[in-house]
Amino acid sequence: MKETILLTKHMRENPEDSHLLKSYEKNGGYKGVKKVLKSGTPESVLEEIKSSNIRGRGGAGFPTGVKWGFLAEDQERYLVINADESEPGTFKDRILLERDPHQLIEGMIITCFAANISKAFIYIRGEYAKPARRVQSAVEQAYEKGYLGKNIFGSSMDLDIVVHLGAGAYICGEETALLNSLEGRRGEPRLKPPFFPAVKGLYNKPTLVNNVETISSVPWIMNNSGKDYASLGVEGSTGTRIFSLSGHINNPGNYEIEMGSSFGEFVESLGKGVRNEKSIKAYIPGGASAPWLRGDQLDVKMTIDDVANEGSMLGSGAVVMMDEDTNLLFAAKSLVSFFAHESCGQCTPCREGTTWLENILDRIASGRGRASDIDLLLDVCDNISPGLTWPPKMTTICPLGPSATASIVSLMKDFRSEVEVLLPKKVVVS
Amino acid sequence: MTEKITFTVDGKTLEGKQGQLLIEACEDSGIHIPRFCWHKRLDPVGMCRMCLVEIETPRGKALVPSCTTQVTDELIVETESNTVKKAQEGVLEFLLINHPLDCPICDKAGECPLQDQTMAYGPGESRFIEEKRHFEKPIPISDIVLLDRERCILCARCTRFSDEISGDPLIEFIQRGNKTQVNTFPDEPFKSYFSGNTVQICPVGALTATSYRFKARPWDLKKVSSTCNCCSLGCSVELNVSQNKMLRILGEDNEFTNQGWLSDKGRYNFEYLHSDNRLTNIKLKDNNSFVDANISEATEKLKNKIEELHNPDIKFLIGANSTNEEYFVINKFANLMNRNEFLSKDKSNVYFADDNMFSGYFGENHQNASFEDLDSSDVIVVWSEDIKDNIPVLFLRIKKAVKNGVKLVVLGHTNSSLESLADLYLGQDVISNNFELKTNLGNIKEFQNIIENKKVTIIVGKSTPLQQKKYLDNLVDHIQKYSQAKFLNCFTKANTFGALQHIDQIKGLNEFCNEYEESNKNIVFTIGANPVNASFFGSKIENILKKADFVVSLDIFINATTELADLILPTTSFGEKEGTVTNMEMRVLKQNKILPGPGSALSEWEYLTMISKSLDKEIKYENVDEINKALCDEYENNEELPSFENLNKPSNLFGMKNRKNIDINIKDLEKNDLSILMVKRLYGDSSTQINSPSISMLGSERFIELNSKTLEKFGISSKTANLIQDQHSIFVNIKINNLLPDNIVLAPINRRGFKNLDPTKDFDIREATNMKELSVN
Amino acid sequence: MTWENARIDKAKEIIEMYPQKRSALGPLLYLAQDKDGYISDDSIVEISRLIGITEVQVQSVASFYSMYKQEPTGKYLLSVCKSISCEISNSSNVIQKVKEFTNLSNNETDDEGLFTYESVECIGACGGAPAIQVNYETVEGLTPEKAVDLCKWLKEEQPKVVVADELQLKFGGTKSFDWAIEDNTGSSSPVPGFQTYEMQEEI
Ligand SMILES: Cc1cc2nc3c(=O)[nH]c(=O)nc-3n(C[C@H](O)[C@H](O)[C@H](O)COP(=O)(O)O)c2cc1C
Ligand code: SF4
Ligand code: FES
Repeated sequence: MKETILLTKHMRENPEDSHLLKSYEKNGGYKGVKKVLKSGTPESVLEEIKSSNIRGRGGAGFPTGVKWGFLAEDQERYLVINADESEPGTFKDRILLERDPHQLIEGMIITCFAANISKAFIYIRGEYAKPARRVQSAVEQAYEKGYLGKNIFGSSMDLDIVVHLGAGAYICGEETALLNSLEGRRGEPRLKPPFFPAVKGLYNKPTLVNNVETISSVPWIMNNSGKDYASLGVEGSTGTRIFSLSGHINNPGNYEIEMGSSFGEFVESLGKGVRNEKSIKAYIPGGASAPWLRGDQLDVKMTIDDVANEGSMLGSGAVVMMDEDTNLLFAAKSLVSFFAHESCGQCTPCREGTTWLENILDRIASGRGRASDIDLLLDVCDNISPGLTWPPKMTTICPLGPSATASIVSLMKDFRSEVEVLLPKKVVVS
Repeated sequence: MTEKITFTVDGKTLEGKQGQLLIEACEDSGIHIPRFCWHKRLDPVGMCRMCLVEIETPRGKALVPSCTTQVTDELIVETESNTVKKAQEGVLEFLLINHPLDCPICDKAGECPLQDQTMAYGPGESRFIEEKRHFEKPIPISDIVLLDRERCILCARCTRFSDEISGDPLIEFIQRGNKTQVNTFPDEPFKSYFSGNTVQICPVGALTATSYRFKARPWDLKKVSSTCNCCSLGCSVELNVSQNKMLRILGEDNEFTNQGWLSDKGRYNFEYLHSDNRLTNIKLKDNNSFVDANISEATEKLKNKIEELHNPDIKFLIGANSTNEEYFVINKFANLMNRNEFLSKDKSNVYFADDNMFSGYFGENHQNASFEDLDSSDVIVVWSEDIKDNIPVLFLRIKKAVKNGVKLVVLGHTNSSLESLADLYLGQDVISNNFELKTNLGNIKEFQNIIENKKVTIIVGKSTPLQQKKYLDNLVDHIQKYSQAKFLNCFTKANTFGALQHIDQIKGLNEFCNEYEESNKNIVFTIGANPVNASFFGSKIENILKKADFVVSLDIFINATTELADLILPTTSFGEKEGTVTNMEMRVLKQNKILPGPGSALSEWEYLTMISKSLDKEIKYENVDEINKALCDEYENNEELPSFENLNKPSNLFGMKNRKNIDINIKDLEKNDLSILMVKRLYGDSSTQINSPSISMLGSERFIELNSKTLEKFGISSKTANLIQDQHSIFVNIKINNLLPDNIVLAPINRRGFKNLDPTKDFDIREATNMKELSVN
Repeated sequence: MTWENARIDKAKEIIEMYPQKRSALGPLLYLAQDKDGYISDDSIVEISRLIGITEVQVQSVASFYSMYKQEPTGKYLLSVCKSISCEISNSSNVIQKVKEFTNLSNNETDDEGLFTYESVECIGACGGAPAIQVNYETVEGLTPEKAVDLCKWLKEEQPKVVVADELQLKFGGTKSFDWAIEDNTGSSSPVPGFQTYEMQEEI
């Protein structure tokens, strides 16, 4: 299995200075946008994006072209790049921000041209200090060259980009929470409907929210074609995608591949196998929110649909491998505390439920478990996510609460005995 | 118009309106869905998740909160399925795991939805064995509100109210997730005119009022609906009484008037009813001190006095707190006592105690507006006394209208609190320090653009007694010329409009002072009026009353005015009497009795009938019902009579509207330059407030407002100073208000110390010398 | 006025960038934290004036986000990751060593005001787990020993600007990805060295 290098091409070929405008341009950067501005129309760009069949890389996998099509008419519209990447296991946007910020900026200009937008924001998680600096200086370079600001590239188009830093709240990755945060409010997800910020978003104006990777793919699509892009990967999961591989792997890292090969192949060929020749006990196929798959499910194909068929999701493209020695109770505990810590606190089930789950797991881990705790855990999970199905039935405003149940349900479904041994035997009083 | 649709709930077909929230549509059809965070008057937040129901979607059944889901035609809803039940029980358990078990000492117990639902659906036994979340027990977040964060279920009602409705977001969520708590900023207490509403809408005992704490259990309370008398808005209220003590006033949701809200003054201004200072016995002055008397001694004395003085001139100074029935009797009585009874109308002897009275806009050419018109008009234009301080709930209604897109034009200099809501604020460029229009309104393009050919509601009244009416006329005429206008005459005090309706002709305090002839023999009645305190004419009236031959006061306290009386008749107050009142929309509403009056106190009408009887003049009424009937007989239109019968129907929140002729005979004061703009603040030193301990301190701050340019001239840099005029010197806090014009200071006339100042005379502001030094000198 | 002129100028400049003033609240809170190492009540008052919202509204937002500190922090904020990839790569050992060296428990600051220690959720360094951030500058592929060396070095050198590349070179190991060229930008206070980076020099 080999990587297919589109998005990461420039940064690989020019490791010395890939983040600088000079270097980006020397290697064909900003050609796509110039072409579009000169001879393209917004409609033609939208057509290319639609025909590429690219689906959002932020986790939900929504078709990008369709989303752009929802954008409501208004004088003021905005583009917001979701660079809040905080899902445990995920670090793919970081490399795009740090090593090839101009590719993102070019993608943004094209997107804004297609959507008639003149103000855009890049919302970067606060912890990404260095990537944020790189993006900021790239934006400044672009302004200097007249690629941003008024009449960019000598055209009639204006575009301003503001780099905005988050401040440590995973929930701000959820697009409506992100918009609240960008408006200087608490990062609380907004009520749905409206389901799409494209209808009512930032300052209640139509707003496109897209992931860094999604928009970074736009220049390649425009330099080549939507069709070329669609010919990569498999149906429903076209193009390439950057997967973040971590855990007990010899060669962790970001890999750009076409979707369609199996997790097992991925781990073996690009990840160079499991550390210390151990076997995999369980793995997370798509970030902390995704239900786990077992070590004997490594032949599942890495496509959005195949993973969904196994009752999990490809999500943010973060693959975490856990070997046979992993203490899965601790793994689940780490994941649950993450969600408890990151709950915004609006919805009762999420606010109260996730902390309760964390408390129970803590108790079990420290040897103070009770015989009834597994039932209790599952019932609390059921009250947050009725039926314990995936995708979850929601009792909450956003999927964070239900996501917190994924690891517990996986643990109890496939590895229940690992927990049972820690609990006192049920005493049956007759 | 909203479209009617049908939808199905638990197998039953119901009707609703397109776009209505499911929870509300169900409620309208008698199906109650449990909820904590949803409140009819607040934007939904969908936070508590208690109201989850199942609906059919193209992708199967889904759980949705009914408080954020709109009904659509043919929607199929289940509110009682197993999934719904399980989800709701789950939410309840989640809410309870961190909720303290202190119901026995909680004010809310007995009327707490959390408690009720736990009884109904809750788990018998807790599965939560961890430690509950702990916070410091109740912390005072203002002088009148306490916060117990352990009890809070984070429904966001208080925070939404403060942000959306009252517009003073001083209470907010702090922290996030499981640590979320509601709180105020340490140095910025919950200083809102409307804070009590949050206590009322808090579904649990997290926010409580100092005045009600530990006082009663809901099941011990006797309740009656009534109408608040704190200003001319006429808020619907519920009075709660236990053991003949008023313990609490709640806002009732009357769509037409207050929509559930009250100002804190309306809500907490009741403890005075049971104050030890309340007048309980008739007092006769004997050598400069009062001695108790009985009613026959009193009437005898008065009768003798009238005879002794030989056809004296009898004048009536009346206040705004009487009922329509009382005004009706006062009017009859005043007519009987009028020497000029048979001469002409303009010899009226009734004077209304409000400095800002003027002849208003009534009659055929001026269409009266309802509060509903605020929502349905295109533009609201305000030129009046400060709305927020004088008719607080009208401020909320204006704010709501503006939120829904109605444009607002405010003319300065009194309504600074409306400025941030206004689309256009006309300040000193357009309006002089004496409240004259400096330019033709037609020359102000922005103004013209906003009002031209629009539906306009004008809230208009004098901003200061010195304002000349012709400038209000200019505004009114101009708008009437260019657009469709409706009027809310901005008289702010309690039942002013009831007085206008039932007194044949009303004059003002200026007329009183001018028409009073020292050379005559004079008897003055003051009825619920205290013009010596907090009035522009205070010192003049004080002099008159001191010299009058005989002064009779009907009142509930000894105060600056009544202490000058020769005879004081203790009267009943709010909650102790039944009657009708008329609000600024001319809507008649009912006040009800739930308490006996203190001691031998009687209603105003009872005294007046007794006095008339002793004078062999026949005003014969046995009870208020009779007066109400007699009052109704004077209406021409028989259909919408403000009768007790009509108004007592519990479904009648609308009240009764009917036209009556209004005759106000008030002229402008002589033109004079204003240097101190005296305004009334919500809280001050009224006898009712200073005798209500929970709120008595709220009107104690002494301050002045002025713009920074004016302040600079005095070279003051500190936040306090002395305001000096002649021999008066008042230690005040200085507040910068750059909406005020240059060379003017604004001062609260209803706070201690200000009433002796002359608004037309020069003043000085000097660096406050250390308070100690002052007393040494 | 509790803020220096340069800080207020910077704040005004930031406010200008947004269509609505309130959007600048986040960046302004960083300016506040850069000043005192936490969001002081004085700064809250200052910001509420600059933006035109109430103090408690500022506090409500500030306290929502974990990077705005509510208590004074030390010169170096040590944030060790404990999320899943780090957790299964023995981050608990790193945590233990750092705590021992600094003698601090979670969210504590030492008396000298040098270090603040915290364990945090995923910092996007999973490929190089376990990882730490010093004033939001990332170091990947740590060992417990290297983590202690890092702390020692900070204590001895007390660098004015913390530079990720420099720390990584000295104390790091496996990286999430190839960082490529060296970069000498960094953070000069317990806030991400972004907008505050240049301002420091003016003050
Ligand atoms: C709890 C939660 C966290 C999320 N975090 C991120 C994130 O860090 N980055 C991201 O791009 N999308 C994230 N998303 C998805 C966004 O809501 C949104 O779908 C995405 O930014 C859309 O961009 P795309 O269509 O380009 O994928 C998150 C969603 C949820 C519910
Ligand atoms: S599910 Fe959790 S994170 Fe999402 S909105 Fe509700 S409380 Fe906030
Ligand atoms: S009442 Fe609907 S979520 Fe609270």
